Amino acid sequence: MYTRSAVLLAVTLSLLGSPAPASAQGARAALVKQSDIIFIGTVTKVGAVAVPEVPASDRTIVVRVDQVLEKPAAVALTPGDSVTVQTVRPGSLKAGTQATFYTTGWIFGRGVAVREVGHEPGRSPVVAAVQQQAVARARLDVNDADLKAHIQKAAMVVAGRVEQVRPAELAAAAARPKRITEHDPNWQEAIIQVQDGIKGAQAGQQVVVRFPGSPDVAWVGTPKFAVGQEGTFLLHVDSTTGSPLSMIAGRSVPAYTALHRLDVLPKQDAPRIRSLIRKP
Amino acid sequence: MRARVIVVAVAVCVACEAPVPHAPPAKLTGVRVVDLIPVSLSGETWQDAEPFLALYAANPQLMAASAFTPNPGGSASATAPIFVSDDGGDSWTLRNTLPSQGMTADITHAVGGNPPVLYAGIMKVPGFPLNELKASDFLSPATMMLQSSRADIDQPFVRTTGVGSADRVYIGLNDFDAPDGRTATVDVSLNGGATYTSRRIETRGTLGQNGPSIRPAVAQDHTVYVAYFGWRSQTGSDVTSDVVVVRDDSGASGATPFRDLLDPSDHLPGRLVATHVTIPWSNAPTLGQERIGSTLAIAVDALHSDNVYVAWADRVGTGDIYTVHVRRSTDRGATWSGDLRTLTNATDASLAVSTNGTAGLLYQQVTGTGSTSRWVTRLEQSRDGFATHQDVVLATVPAATPTFQFLPYIGDYNGLLARGNQFLGIFSANNTPDSTNFPQGVVYQRRVDFPTHRLLDGSGAAVAVSIDPFFFSVPVLP
Repeated sequence: MYTRSAVLLAVTLSLLGSPAPASAQGARAALVKQSDIIFIGTVTKVGAVAVPEVPASDRTIVVRVDQVLEKPAAVALTPGDSVTVQTVRPGSLKAGTQATFYTTGWIFGRGVAVREVGHEPGRSPVVAAVQQQAVARARLDVNDADLKAHIQKAAMVVAGRVEQVRPAELAAAAARPKRITEHDPNWQEAIIQVQDGIKGAQAGQQVVVRFPGSPDVAWVGTPKFAVGQEGTFLLHVDSTTGSPLSMIAGRSVPAYTALHRLDVLPKQDAPRIRSLIRKP
Repeated sequence: MRARVIVVAVAVCVACEAPVPHAPPAKLTGVRVVDLIPVSLSGETWQDAEPFLALYAANPQLMAASAFTPNPGGSASATAPIFVSDDGGDSWTLRNTLPSQGMTADITHAVGGNPPVLYAGIMKVPGFPLNELKASDFLSPATMMLQSSRADIDQPFVRTTGVGSADRVYIGLNDFDAPDGRTATVDVSLNGGATYTSRRIETRGTLGQNGPSIRPAVAQDHTVYVAYFGWRSQTGSDVTSDVVVVRDDSGASGATPFRDLLDPSDHLPGRLVATHVTIPWSNAPTLGQERIGSTLAIAVDALHSDNVYVAWADRVGTGDIYTVHVRRSTDRGATWSGDLRTLTNATDASLAVSTNGTAGLLYQQVTGTGSTSRWVTRLEQSRDGFATHQDVVLATVPAATPTFQFLPYIGDYNGLLARGNQFLGIFSANNTPDSTNFPQGVVYQRRVDFPTHRLLDGSGAAVAVSIDPFFFSVPVLP
């Protein structure tokens, strides 16, 4: 269970001190992976709340923000703000303790309430610059691990250029009855000229990638393709449309998809991907 | 003296009302307009479209609202948010309690008989299955409980009523797995969502499916009306449709529900309110950056179920893009008026009837053209079938900015409800903090600077204009 693990990790981190060895950095990355709001703060009250929308309990504490290390752009959180934190365990933090808090957003109103994933007491006072660097490095580790896992799942990884975009012609036998809905993906096909076959492909090859052309909200986060677009593409065998094959120049070829945000990366990410593939 | 604009609607003029710009009416006493985005999300720039509202009759302080607002934590978050208010709509908080990854692909909701129970119908991300959800306490941070789920549906639309201690839940939806292309469906629960039964309400032939909007309305005597589009044929992107209303006189509790209103033309269940209308189906920016094709609303006088109103939008063909029509029945749907209101280049019509019988019509209309076009959001009230009506402009904002991030731009629907002596509703609009955009006044929770018309983030830096949801309340005509 992640909360328990997080506590153990936090304890590990607190015992290890700084600079953190690789195991501590790994533990920190585990916390970062589950967090979207990370800040250094000082506990000002326990069993209390800073916003009226949250009931006080033995798991709620008020923390004064000393430095924000990571947060979504939408969230208004600045040094000096008081944040309500629902801790993993009651009594785990005392007033006056300064720590790095790894959290997820919980309630957003007149103030911010977050749920603790874990915390890293470190030495007090926490050296903000050091901690900022450590969290940033952990975030890079997390991103690399996510990308590596994604690469491993991909059938093909290529750097290339979109030569053509056309409506997808899905095989009639596999196609579902035509449904008129605002959520219709409006499948399109991008023909990509492979310039660099990084995994499962060769330079000069052409591949067909299906993507939703629909502007509907259901597909808002899904990568779209345009003629002339260059990039590094992580391609997956098409198991979504129900029609696994397409045509190029009269030849039947496998169709692929790239539906995750990590499936379409800048062209200059190709060396990073090669490096991740080689990395044990 | 209360400032009020009464528009005397001469029938001919009403029928050909053009979307010409005109000076907004004077400020009406007692109107509130509140931007829902809380101060702690002042940096928010998302397109918070398609808002919806749920109210508790027993506790006027409690409200729930939704929009296509994402979990601020990002698209990988396991939950999506709803807004809640515990002070009658003056302030709102965002809580991540919906079991959907980051955001939903559709959401509506309605309250249970005992506050703070809340029912929701969502299209869950990823995969977009229907999730029929319940929260015993919507103020709780706990994730809403899944009661039923299935794939291949569209636009779940939730209404509720209480019978004794049990909540009855009616979720109109377009069920693509329904047999014979008769996809208009109401999922009915007579036991607080513990079990649902899918009731097919289309009895005529279709082009292979019905339109996506299936809208229930429930009266206190348990009469349930449902409006839907009977899609009959298609030419290109234009669908030829009937506007149909079915009725059930016992809360859809019988074995063959929604069969109590027959059409005299074919004696089949489902009164044909309008026939052979042209629905322009467009999933592209078509009207003020908005898509069109599914505007449909129904409201019943909760205390007098004989009285029921329907609104829909189609293309008349007089150079219009999309035209809203409003009609009324005073005999339980047996006969219907002609158009009481005809609103050119309008969409997102919502209806409600207050306890004193006043009808409310919320709609959003594009005025002007090109870069000077505006989305005008109005609430009209009438005591006489819209022969006369009070007209309140809630917002008049640029329609060309901001550029759409996705569709719907402002929503395939918005929300209007009545409680006591108030119409309460929600709409989405350009959030520029400019007082002239909100003739009735506006309250922002998020940081703004009215003199410079700027949105500000937590550190005081400028934030880009976007689409926000706005709650409003308007006093019912006495």
